[in-house]
Amino acid sequence: MLPTFSHLSAVLADREPRRKPFRFAWLAVLAAGLVALSGALTPSEAHGPTRQKVTLTTEVPAAPADVWAVIGNFQDMSWHPAVFSTKGEGGNDIDATRVVTLEKEGGPTISEVLYKYDATKMTYSYRITDVKVEVLPVTNYSSHLTVKPGKDGGSLIEWKGAFYRGYPNNDPPENLNDEAAIAAVSAVYQAGLDALSDRFAKK
Amino acid sequence: MRSRTVLRRSDRSKGLSAGMAVLLALPGLMTCAPAHAGAFAFVTNQNSSDLSVLDLGARTEIRRVPVPGKPAGVAVTPSLGSFFTVSPDSKTLRRFSLATCTETASLQLPGGPTGIAVAAKVEQESGEQAPKSLIFVSDWYNARLHVVDAASFRLIRELETGSAPAGIAVAADQSWVASADRDANQVSFFSLPDLDPIGQVPVGERPYGLATAPDGRLHVANVGSNSVSVIDPGRLAVIAEVPVGERPYGVAFASGRAFVTDQYADTLSIYGLADLKPETVLDVGEYPEGIQATPTGDLIVSTNWFSNTVSLTDPKSLEVTGEIETGDGPRAFGQFIAEFPEGDTPCRASN
Repeated sequence: MLPTFSHLSAVLADREPRRKPFRFAWLAVLAAGLVALSGALTPSEAHGPTRQKVTLTTEVPAAPADVWAVIGNFQDMSWHPAVFSTKGEGGNDIDATRVVTLEKEGGPTISEVLYKYDATKMTYSYRITDVKVEVLPVTNYSSHLTVKPGKDGGSLIEWKGAFYRGYPNNDPPENLNDEAAIAAVSAVYQAGLDALSDRFAKK
Repeated sequence: MRSRTVLRRSDRSKGLSAGMAVLLALPGLMTCAPAHAGAFAFVTNQNSSDLSVLDLGARTEIRRVPVPGKPAGVAVTPSLGSFFTVSPDSKTLRRFSLATCTETASLQLPGGPTGIAVAAKVEQESGEQAPKSLIFVSDWYNARLHVVDAASFRLIRELETGSAPAGIAVAADQSWVASADRDANQVSFFSLPDLDPIGQVPVGERPYGLATAPDGRLHVANVGSNSVSVIDPGRLAVIAEVPVGERPYGVAFASGRAFVTDQYADTLSIYGLADLKPETVLDVGEYPEGIQATPTGDLIVSTNWFSNTVSLTDPKSLEVTGEIETGDGPRAFGQFIAEFPEGDTPCRASN
């Protein structure tokens, strides 16, 4: 079955908001038994014909500076419920790197590099330098996190991604096609924004 | 309080308004079309599978043309009265009338059709033969250029390139055609009209877009090495490698300068054509991609894939002077601008 937009909506709507955000993105792909494919995908920078984009936003009742204090450090992604640890070098300087470990000690990792950072505008951009497609079914992924002033002194958090599908060659299998890539990235962003919504909700 | 999360999706295509539909049905009532001479851009919107026709003088979109299959490649060819698009998802080459903006032919191509360039009315070796017009389409997955005869709209040849050919450029004097072979880090040259391989020139890492400068040199944007390789086609040699911003995509020329879209930097890198030295950098929209100058050289037009706009830049004052909205995911990968004479506009009502 194709993970169509309605399917994705159902997944996002039915999912428990916090503890198992990656169940869809990882297990669905793993279950498809496509792990062996990743070794055959060379060169690593190859990509499919159509780049995809995802923009997710959430409004929270907290000042932009307070939100930025939580998510504005490239070396600390602990605000995302799927992240077990963040280890990196270079702080928030351009070309700083980090390795994000997911779920648990020894869990899957995503390696990323920072290529834009503006604390005044409360925005930064980074791209993935290494991830297995069974962890996140994308290639050539870049991402942008921004905090903007929201309503009534609150904040608008915007998370944007641009990427190609996990399968760089022609005629992709369903689990590594454009729709699967959009679904997986959307699930990651949704889980992160849901966690921030809860964190900054008025008690 | 539970805050609201909004998922914005790439489905904002406008289609024709009711008012426009009425006008289309009444060809006599086309007085709404701008009457001045000017340049028009034909921008492929890959994510919304359509094409925005932009009046660059009036700075407005005048038509949205459906183009199924996620089009990216485009070649506007006034001498053939046509523009051509390539949709990689549906593997379709299409021809549209510039006068009416309606589809006049389509052709399924094998593999992964991507970039496109047209050599219009190429003189043949034997004076007996009429000039031929050839459409070149790169096959991203099979290391070849498809050659389509523009008159019959049939595939007539294949030319072997390096791995993952993307952008295609034709010499101003139509003596050669060249492809940027991304995964081979080279540019392949073929002679016109013979279509014989002339040679391959090693360039920077992962060349994607390329364009021929007014002085005849070929400028090749290297996505992987953040540089532009400048090739002298006569010597088949790189004469300079110019540093530009992160992930350069396309190159355009005006006012003695080259303008390069830097996808990840959201900038235009600008360098002089005489000294091939970086001059300045301008901020544009997000993920700038296709770029070209108007035929008069008065304006640089560059698409912003993430922002769903084109940026307009004055090539003399080096200022970004405006934006025009497009469909979702504007790419305009190829030659996408045409000048229309006074009183003439594209997309006039068809009979």
